[in-house]
Amino acid sequence: MTDVLLLAAETLEPFAGEPSALVQNSWLIVVLPAISALLITVFGKNMPWKGAEIGIATLAAMWIMAVMVGWETFTNPLYHYEAALNWSPLGGGFVMELGMLVNGLTGMMFVLVTTVSLMVHIYSKEYMHGEERFTYFFAMLSLFTFSMLVLVIANNTLQAVVGWELVGLCSYLLIGFYWKEKPNSDAANKAFLTTKFADIGLIVGVIILSAGVAGLGGDFATTPFNIDLTNRAAVAGALPTGAIVGGMLLIFLGCVAKSGQMPLHVWLPDAMAGPTPVSALIHAATMVTAGIFLLARLYPVIAQSLAVMNTLAIVGTITLFLAGFVAFVQDDIKKVLAYSTVSQLGYMMAALGVGSYTAGIFHLFTHGFFKALLFLGSGSLIHAVHSNNMSDMGGMRKFMPHTYWTFIVGTLALAGFPLTAGFFSKDEILVGAQIWADNGIWTGNLVYWVGLAGAMVTTFYMGRAIFLIFFGEHRGLSHHGDDGHGHDPEGVTHDEHAEDHEVIAHATDEVQMAVDEDGTERPVPAGGAGGGDHHGEPHESGGFMLTALVFLAIASFPVGFTGGFLWTNVGGSAEQNFETWTATETITHTQYPFLDDYHAWGEVVDGELVYEKKDEAYADDAHAEDDGHAEETEHEEEAAGEIVALGSPLAAASEEGGVSNYVLHGAPVFHSDVFILALLGFLLATGAAFAIYGRGKPDRDPTLHMGPLTTVLVEKYYLDTIGYKAIVVPVRDHVAKWASYSSNDGKYSIDSVVAGVGVVTKQVANSTYRTLDQKIIDGGINGAAFSAAWWSDKLKRVQSGDVQRYAGALVAGTVVLVLVIALTVN
Amino acid sequence: MSPLAPLVLSTFLFCAGIYGIIARRNSVLVLMSVELMLNAVNINLVAFQSLFFPGDSDASGYVFALFIIAVAAAEVGVGLAIVLNMFRNRASVNVDDVDLMRW
Repeated sequence: MTDVLLLAAETLEPFAGEPSALVQNSWLIVVLPAISALLITVFGKNMPWKGAEIGIATLAAMWIMAVMVGWETFTNPLYHYEAALNWSPLGGGFVMELGMLVNGLTGMMFVLVTTVSLMVHIYSKEYMHGEERFTYFFAMLSLFTFSMLVLVIANNTLQAVVGWELVGLCSYLLIGFYWKEKPNSDAANKAFLTTKFADIGLIVGVIILSAGVAGLGGDFATTPFNIDLTNRAAVAGALPTGAIVGGMLLIFLGCVAKSGQMPLHVWLPDAMAGPTPVSALIHAATMVTAGIFLLARLYPVIAQSLAVMNTLAIVGTITLFLAGFVAFVQDDIKKVLAYSTVSQLGYMMAALGVGSYTAGIFHLFTHGFFKALLFLGSGSLIHAVHSNNMSDMGGMRKFMPHTYWTFIVGTLALAGFPLTAGFFSKDEILVGAQIWADNGIWTGNLVYWVGLAGAMVTTFYMGRAIFLIFFGEHRGLSHHGDDGHGHDPEGVTHDEHAEDHEVIAHATDEVQMAVDEDGTERPVPAGGAGGGDHHGEPHESGGFMLTALVFLAIASFPVGFTGGFLWTNVGGSAEQNFETWTATETITHTQYPFLDDYHAWGEVVDGELVYEKKDEAYADDAHAEDDGHAEETEHEEEAAGEIVALGSPLAAASEEGGVSNYVLHGAPVFHSDVFILALLGFLLATGAAFAIYGRGKPDRDPTLHMGPLTTVLVEKYYLDTIGYKAIVVPVRDHVAKWASYSSNDGKYSIDSVVAGVGVVTKQVANSTYRTLDQKIIDGGINGAAFSAAWWSDKLKRVQSGDVQRYAGALVAGTVVLVLVIALTVN
Repeated sequence: MSPLAPLVLSTFLFCAGIYGIIARRNSVLVLMSVELMLNAVNINLVAFQSLFFPGDSDASGYVFALFIIAVAAAEVGVGLAIVLNMFRNRASVNVDDVDLMRW
C-alpha cells in the first residue's frame, strides 16, 4: 500500500503578484530565434563562422532570459500570466488570439528547449563543420527553436497547432538534410506524412473541444480555443462528455504520431537519417515531447474522462514496453537511442494516463537533458569512427575519455540509476501508478509492473550499448574507402542508408577538420592532415562538442533533484519543487469525476464561471485529512492532528491507501518498495548485459539468436511492413490509381467535369461574344456610325453649291417666316 | 396721294428681281436683278418719306436711298469684278457652272 500525499488545493495560493517586465515581454524569447533564422539566411554565408555565431549568440541571450523566466515561475507557485493580441475576423463575437500563457509549464519548457537548443547549436558548430549546407542548417535550427517556442507559449490551441505544424515542417526539412540520398528524403516524407495524417485528428479534436467550450456562452464563446478557459470549464464539470472524449481522443491521435507512440512511432527511428544534432534536439528532447506537452496543457480536460485516461495509459504502456525490445537487436547506435526515445515517450504518456501529471512532465524534462546528452555523445562517437554501427566501435573509452564519462552519465540517468535524473522521474511515474492502482483502477497496476519491466529492458539495451561501444577491443575500420558501407556481420536488416550518408558526410568533414584552425583542442590524428591514413585511430572530439556534452552531463543532475524526494535535503525549498513549479491553479483543483468524493470546482452560469467557496467545497476532504497518517516524511512530527505540513506545507495526507482524488500528489517521498525493485531491476539488467557483452563483442550475439523473437524484433513487429503493405501499397496501387483515374482519365472523372465546365464556359463565352458583343454592342455602335454616314451623305447634297437654289430657299424661308409671324401676331 | 401706286411699282420690281435671281443663268443678269430689288426698296423709302413725312428736316428716307445707291454701286463693282474673273477662268458667265463651294 502506498502512502498517498495529497496536495490539498486550498493550501496553494494562486499567484497574485505582478509579473516582471521580462515575463510580460517573454514573447521576445519566441521571436528572437525567428530573427536569428532570418539573419543567418541573409548574412550567414559571409560571416566568419558562416552564421553559427548568430545562432549561438541568439540562443545564449534567449537561454539567459528563459532561465530567468523559469526561475520566476519556479519561485512563484501557480504562476500565471496571460496576454493576447485579439483579432476577430469573423465577427459574431468570436475572437482569434495570438497570445502567450506563461506559467510553470511554460517556464519549464522554456528552460528545456533553450538549454538543449543552445547546446546543440554549440555542438553543431563543430560537428557540422565543412558541411555544404552549414548555414542552412543553422537557420533551420533557429527556425525550429522559434516554432517550438510558438507552441510552448501558445495560450490557445489554434496557436499551438500552428507551432505544432511548424515544428513538423522543420523536422521534415532537417531529416531530409542529406537529401541527395533517396532514403533520407524518403525518411523525411515518411515522418511528414505519418505525423500529418495524425494532425488531421489533432485539428478536428481541437475544433470539437472548442465547440464544447463555445457552447457554454459568454467568454467561452468568445475565445473557445483558449487553453486556460477550456481547463477551467473542464474543472467546473461544465464540458459535455462528447466534447471531452471526442476532442481529447482526436488530439491524442495527433500526439500519438508526434510523440512516437505505437503504432505511429514508425517515422521516429527513420528520422535518424537526419544529422545527429538534429536527432538530439528535435527527435529526442523537444519536438517529440510536444504531444506530451500539449496533453499536459489540457490535463484538466483529460482528467474528466476515464476512457481517455485509460487510452493514454494503455497506448503508453504498450509503447514503453515493446519499443524497448526493438533496441535489443539494433546495431546502429542512433537506432538504439531512437527506440529508447520511443520507449521513454511511452513512459510519459502512460504517466499522464494514470493521473501522474507531474511525473509525466518531470520525465519529459529530465529525459530532454539526458537523451540530448546521449544523442550528442553518439554523434561524438560517430564523428570519431565514421560509422553508426556499434560493431565498428568497441574500446572507445581509451580514445574518447570525455565522451565516455558523459555517455555513462546519460546512460545511468536513462536506466534510472539512483540519484540520477531518470531515477527520480521514473520513480515518480511508478509511484503515481501505485497511487492510481490504490484508487482501484487497473491501469495503475499495469503501468507499475510494465514500467518496472520496461526499466529493466532499458537498462539492458543501454548496458549492451555501453559494453559494445566503450569496452573490449576496438573493432573500428581504418580504411577510408571501406568504412562507408554498414558492416553487419549478423546480417541484421537495418537501414543502411543512415550510416552511408553520415559516413560520407563526415568523411568529407574530416578532411576539412584536419586543417581546421579554429582553436579547438582536438588532437590531430597520428596520420596528419596530408596522410591518407588519418582515420587510423578514433580521437576525442573538439572543444565545442565537449562543451555541450559536459554541460548537459552536469545539468542532468540538478534537473532531476528539483522533483525528487531529496530536494529538501539538497537545499531546495519544500514550497518550490518541480510539482509546484508546473502546477497551475486549474490543476490544483482538478478532480476525477469517476472517483469518489468528486467536487466540481465551481460551475458555469450564463457563460460565467462561479467558484464555490473553498470551505464548502473541500469540507469533506479536510475531514478526511484530519485522520490522515503520514509516514516516511521529513516532517512527520509536525503532522499530528493537523492538515498541513507533510513533507511540505502544501501537502496534506489522506487516509492511507484512500482514494486520491487530486491530480497533484504532493511533494515526493521516498518509497522503499519502488526503490528496491528499481535498483534490483537495474542490477539484474546490468549484470545480464555484462555477462553477455562485458568481455567485448560476443561472436554470437544472443539477442540476435532468439529464433522467431529476433525475427519479430528485427522486423520491428512488422509495423513498417504492415504500414507498407496496408497503407503505402494500397494507396499507391489503388487509391492513387483511382484518384488518378477519377481525376484524369475516366469518363466521369474530375478532369472531365473540369473540362466540361471549361467547354461550357467557352461556349457561353463564344455565344456571348457573337450575340452580345458582336451583334448588340458592336452592331449598335456600327449602326450609329453607319446611320450618321448615310444621313450625312444624304444631307450633304443640300449644300449643292448652286447659288440660285440657295436664293430660292432663302426666299421660301422668308415667306414662311413672314406668314408665320403674320399669322401668329394676329 | 395714295401710296398704292409706288408700292405696286416696287412690289413688281422686287418680284421681278427675285425671279431674275432665281431663274436667270447669266450672272450679269443676276447682278442686274439684285439692282432691281435694291431699287424697289429705294422706291419704297422715297415714297414713304415724301408721302408721310414730307416736312422732316432729317429726311432719313432720302438719305437711306442715297446710301443704298452708293452701296449698290460698290456691290456691282465687286460683282462685276467676280464675273469678269469667272469669265477669264471658265470662259463662261453661267452661274450654274460655278458650284465648287459645295459638299
